[in-house]
Amino acid sequence: MSAEDQNAYEVEPLLDTNLLKEISKKALVDALNSVNGSKTLVLDPSLAGPLGLVTEVALLKHHGVDKMYWLERGPLPSSTTNIVYLCRPMVNYVKIIADHIKRHAKESSKHNYTLFLVPRLSSLFSRLLEEEGVLGDITISAYNLQFLPIADDVLSLEYESAFRDIWVDGDESVVYDSAQALMTLQRLFGLFPRLLGKGDHAARLIDLLMTHVTQSHNASTPDTLSEPSSNFDSLIVIDRRVDMITPLLTQLTYEGLIDEVLGIRNSHVELPASLVNPPSNPPADAAVAPPAVTSSTSLRKENKKKYHLSSADSLFKKLRDLNFSNVGKQLNGVARRLDEDYKTSLQSKTTAQLKDFVERLKGRLYSEHQSLRIHTGISELLVPMTRTEQFNKSLEIQQNLLASYNISDQISSIEDMIARGADMETILRLLCLASITSGGIKAKALDNIKREFLQTYGYNFLPLLLSLAAPSLAILLPNPLAPTTPSAVLASKYPFPSLRKSLRLLIDDNSEALDEVENDISFVYSGYAPISVRLVQCVAQKGGVLSNPAEKEKTSGLDGSNSVHAVGKVQAHPIVGWKGFEDILATIPGKTVDEVQSPVGVIAPLGGIARPKDKATTTVVFFLGGCTYTEIAALRWVARQNRGRNFLIATTGIITGSSIVDGIAGTKKTTAGSKDAAI
Amino acid sequence: MSEHPTTSWQAMQNGTVFYRRQQLYSILGKLPDLGDYIIAGCRYGGPLAMMRDNTKLIAVGRVTPAHAKFQIQVYSSAGEGLLLFSWDHGRIIRFGWTLNEQLVVLNEEGVYRVYDLQGEYQQYSLGTEASEVGIVDARIYENGMVALTGSLTLLEVKGWEGARPMNLANPNLTDPPMSWAIIPPDSNISRHVEVLLSVENTIYTVDNLESVDQRLSQGPFTHISPSPNGKSLALLNASGTLLVISSDFQRRMAEFDTLNVPSAQGNVKQVEWCGNDAIVVTWDSLAVLVGPFADTLQYYYVGNTFAITETDGIRILGADVCDLIQKVPSSTLSIFRPGSTSPAAILYDAWESFSQRSPKSDESIRSIRPELATAVDGCIDAAGQEWEPYWQRRLLSAAKFGQGFLDLYDPTDFINMGQTLKVLNAVRFYEIGIPLTYAQYSYTSPTHLISRLTSRNMHLLALRISTFLSLKPDVVLKHWASAKIMRTRPVASGTGKDAELDSDEEVCRLIVDKFKQLGDVEVSYAEIAKRAWEVGRTGLATKLLDHEKRASDQVPLLLSMKEDRLALQKAVDSGDTDLVYQVLLHLHKHLTLGSFFRLIEDGGEQLAPASRLLQVYAREQDRDMLRDFYYSDDRRVESAVLALEEALHMVDPSARIAAVKSAQKFFSEDKDRNFEAKMTDEYSRLLTLQQQLEAEADGKVAFFGQSVNETIRTCIINGMLKRADKVKSDFKVPDKRFWYTKLYALTEVRDFEGLDAFSKSKRSPIGYESFVRHLVEKGHSKEAVAYVARCDPPKRADLYAECDEWRMVGKECKDRGDKAKLEQLRKKCPNSLIARELEQIAISMK
Repeated sequence: MSAEDQNAYEVEPLLDTNLLKEISKKALVDALNSVNGSKTLVLDPSLAGPLGLVTEVALLKHHGVDKMYWLERGPLPSSTTNIVYLCRPMVNYVKIIADHIKRHAKESSKHNYTLFLVPRLSSLFSRLLEEEGVLGDITISAYNLQFLPIADDVLSLEYESAFRDIWVDGDESVVYDSAQALMTLQRLFGLFPRLLGKGDHAARLIDLLMTHVTQSHNASTPDTLSEPSSNFDSLIVIDRRVDMITPLLTQLTYEGLIDEVLGIRNSHVELPASLVNPPSNPPADAAVAPPAVTSSTSLRKENKKKYHLSSADSLFKKLRDLNFSNVGKQLNGVARRLDEDYKTSLQSKTTAQLKDFVERLKGRLYSEHQSLRIHTGISELLVPMTRTEQFNKSLEIQQNLLASYNISDQISSIEDMIARGADMETILRLLCLASITSGGIKAKALDNIKREFLQTYGYNFLPLLLSLAAPSLAILLPNPLAPTTPSAVLASKYPFPSLRKSLRLLIDDNSEALDEVENDISFVYSGYAPISVRLVQCVAQKGGVLSNPAEKEKTSGLDGSNSVHAVGKVQAHPIVGWKGFEDILATIPGKTVDEVQSPVGVIAPLGGIARPKDKATTTVVFFLGGCTYTEIAALRWVARQNRGRNFLIATTGIITGSSIVDGIAGTKKTTAGSKDAAI
Repeated sequence: MSEHPTTSWQAMQNGTVFYRRQQLYSILGKLPDLGDYIIAGCRYGGPLAMMRDNTKLIAVGRVTPAHAKFQIQVYSSAGEGLLLFSWDHGRIIRFGWTLNEQLVVLNEEGVYRVYDLQGEYQQYSLGTEASEVGIVDARIYENGMVALTGSLTLLEVKGWEGARPMNLANPNLTDPPMSWAIIPPDSNISRHVEVLLSVENTIYTVDNLESVDQRLSQGPFTHISPSPNGKSLALLNASGTLLVISSDFQRRMAEFDTLNVPSAQGNVKQVEWCGNDAIVVTWDSLAVLVGPFADTLQYYYVGNTFAITETDGIRILGADVCDLIQKVPSSTLSIFRPGSTSPAAILYDAWESFSQRSPKSDESIRSIRPELATAVDGCIDAAGQEWEPYWQRRLLSAAKFGQGFLDLYDPTDFINMGQTLKVLNAVRFYEIGIPLTYAQYSYTSPTHLISRLTSRNMHLLALRISTFLSLKPDVVLKHWASAKIMRTRPVASGTGKDAELDSDEEVCRLIVDKFKQLGDVEVSYAEIAKRAWEVGRTGLATKLLDHEKRASDQVPLLLSMKEDRLALQKAVDSGDTDLVYQVLLHLHKHLTLGSFFRLIEDGGEQLAPASRLLQVYAREQDRDMLRDFYYSDDRRVESAVLALEEALHMVDPSARIAAVKSAQKFFSEDKDRNFEAKMTDEYSRLLTLQQQLEAEADGKVAFFGQSVNETIRTCIINGMLKRADKVKSDFKVPDKRFWYTKLYALTEVRDFEGLDAFSKSKRSPIGYESFVRHLVEKGHSKEAVAYVARCDPPKRADLYAECDEWRMVGKECKDRGDKAKLEQLRKKCPNSLIARELEQIAISMK
């Protein structure tokens, strides 16, 4: 990344997303303060991560939290009169809470119970508490935890099961909650002048959003909801169902790969403790120490520690979106620079120079050194993984499937991987990818491979296979479809081969320079451009869909005539909806939405909305059902190409193909925690 | 011309502070004798509620009739009767006012009603415990109350929506307190209510955590009165000493002996605050204002009095007048104080000279030129403090005059003050009877005033004020519509059904027209419709609901109107899943299961979201219902999946097999589910087989619930090789997969001999490279070497290298004459010894 890119961040400031964090923090403090005196906090384990992004334990202690426990079965020790529950309204929690209260009643210890439901009250929950006969003992209120900034330009609702809820269970609470969260955003920064969306649930979300806006027009309407914002230029909602291909592929950016291999939860990755805590021996040894084979096994045994991958870490900010193949080089460069810095220090003659150096050593140099050590360590963990046969075989199959190259061969390769006992998630990702890209797998081959799958991983995964084939998801289908298949499934057939061409999804990597020049979003998947981001480009960077802006730059650079290109950045064009790409969008299943939000009573023309040229605006991209780190990286790349437009990425959560599969299978990997909760 | 403002002033503290007594209304003969009644006054110029005090004797022949029942009368400050209602629900313990001018009446059984000014009420209870022990006393404040139960514990209720009463800390009293009071949460540092109990010589402060003895010695106290801002307390003890202390009991601010007040007769009636810095002590016909330095002012009244603390003064009612006593505000003081030379006073003076065409005017203005802006502000503010429009006008004129001399002056304050005074003068008019001061108005907000007017059914005035202040009129209209519906209730003697229908139409049209006429404001028709339904006018309710745009608001009403399908439909449309659950749970409770299912199934695609939510709920909470639901709808696949999911959690092997078999049966009934039927069949066969295997292994090895692969693996690990082969053939496991599984399993138990035998049993379908790689990966390089020779010749050199068998690498390369490979591998050598050896081989190859 060049210095010029760095400037881009500084020149065009983003919206202050920390505001959202402050709001959540204040709401939490208010909630805690509403209960007088010291209290025992009983925490939903799935909220610990999100809360960790909002607050720290010290703040809770400061507001009277005496002890914290996980909300789980078993007796609840309680030293304080006040017991505060903080949880999402999950049905299975009712029994646990009721059990606690009944137990206390039996022991005749008296407590005040307060329950904060996230993000809002649930009549179902109250009803169930009533059935348990404990509703009368609890005071219930809501703690409205919405968007959390997980990076400067990324907001997340941190819903882990959003995808499963919507497309497997058909529980649309997530859509409603998302609409509420986007309303909060509008309340803070003004109305989105234009709402664009692709996909049935995206359409539903936009519909809800617009009704919410009209309904909230009453005496207490804040000004921000009555006129289009000058901060935003549009909201683009991408329904995960519209692009199922992208999450199924293996992410190849640094951050994406960490998520794939090590797993990132709420911006935290679990690393071997020795890596997080500075070792006593000089860091230079770490590079010499034998890498590879041992580290993967030791990874499992060694104590793990959570490490926060934050955008405050400037090195990580540089690395996170790079294709992993470039990370080594980048790390090398930083290491060399640090080395130089140390060397210059040795040459310092005067005490003043030395003092200056020590100061730097304490501050910037030290922290840079630390993060270099950690990221080198992480890379060393990742490298052996990327060299395994399974990893490379699955990459190869992915690339072949994307190119629709010899599909039946790919199917037998997948079968071979099953025989070799590859991960269940990897197999299903490949199978679904095969089904989507080729419009279904030949019925006989499919039945055969499904049988192999079930015998290998267990027959209890049969419901999982049925869910993947169910009409709402339809990502693992036979070809041709059974004659009795509902028409909805027929309509949802994905036109991948034509999209590959019209959206320029695959970039031929014949030129050697491809790795060097990140000239298209496809760098994130080493040659494949995520459809979801292409769709965003259809709205916000129309040129980028058709050709590589970077290549154009090269040619015009030869002419030396065009000064605009020499700068390297083009003024972002105004938002004019899907214009120019309507035909392509029509071929993708799911509704297409393009709405203009005008101030009350005034009907704005459906053209581009005129804006002052010099002011940068923000395009909010909302991924309903989650997005991958790779898509975020690609969007950041798009943002860097234009002047005058920033992207704010909002999502229901961060996903990977494996987390989707696990979510549907219901095999949630729970980390065994201690009884005492921690954030 | 009205009297000069200073005529009502009285000086205190050597003439540095002035108090004024403003007569608000003359109420001669409008109110009954205050002495015979228990009275509760509402702050912010609100009304008075009065109930006959049964403990007092009444001379026969007085006008008031004797009441067998309790009766509560409500009067405005101007003495206009607002409401009269009877109470037949046990003995009244206490009544008081909420912030929204609702009257709360609490009886001895802990039942309380919240009345509005139209006599409509909501009834709540303090719970069964309270009703058993009874309620002895209570204190009611604007947003809640604290009740003292018969067992001398304290119960707190927050808000007026029937919240659950909370126990406060137990003060462990043996006798009821001599007197008590509360400091509302808003004016307390902890933001939680605090109760002050006078016990023996001291005071206990009680909140929800603890009860603290404040260790005073001058008690017992007959009166405890916290100041409006909650910072100070006025305490009157039995020996007549009035103490003023800070509410944290750290500072004593004043002491005053009430027995020394001349002309005071009998007992002290009330100890109330006048704003936050003076106290009024009342006797019959006398009110004494005690200042911070124990200096006093005396006010005489005819007959009994009643005093109501305001945030900026005190309202006192006598038999003939209603007065407001307050400290003269600083802006007024600086203008009208005799001899004042403040800029505002000079500006006012200049304006007076100007209106008398005196040249002095110019001179005065010149003299205050630098402070003219402050002077203007001062005049505007003082105008707000004046009661008489005459003086308001004069002060505003002075301000306007001053403005003319300023180059840049933002007139917003001036305009706002003008508007506000117009509104205030309107509501102060005796027929309305809300004597609101400017400070109170600013504190409570204009919308609060509007709602007070609407609750008095003064819709026209409320609407005009709303429009005048450019507030949205929907609140007023909503209330008006509700009132309209109440008023036009069809008369019992109407001419049958037609008459009612007519009037329904008419009322609906009237309401809708009125709303449209006022610019189609966003009024919730649902709320109005609810009102109509509550008074039994279903027809009107339905008609009104049709006009409601917000789906979610219609739902509760539709449910109570038994429009089940429509309610569910609207809930689904709203996208609010919680609302859908509400409806579903309601219907589940009130309908038979059959008709409940039918309702959802008949809904088709439109109600599909509701159906799915029901399934989500039932899967977690009520599986039997889910089973019935799928069964009644012939959803075989879902039934089968449900059976499979349940099987997964079953512990008992035979129950689990049965569940899988039932799933198999469901699948087999659907002709499109051949594959699934076959798989579940295999599943149940596998489980049965696993049961047998466990029996064979004498229960020492666990098989049950494993996959086919795992079963084979477990067999091999435990040396049951024959069984592994049987599983393979029974479940038609392909060779490849079987070989991999066996390779992994044998390696795991380090049975290298077995592995060797296995590899030679037939030609490996997975080649021998896999053997080498797997063994190397698991750290058995030595054992791996043997298999390299069986791999493809071109790969051998690399594989040997992976096994760390460098000599063989050299040999292999030499045999094949592949020098390039040798060079390539030589670079990866672990040490120089080997490197040299390889080099020699390379040289020898030349």
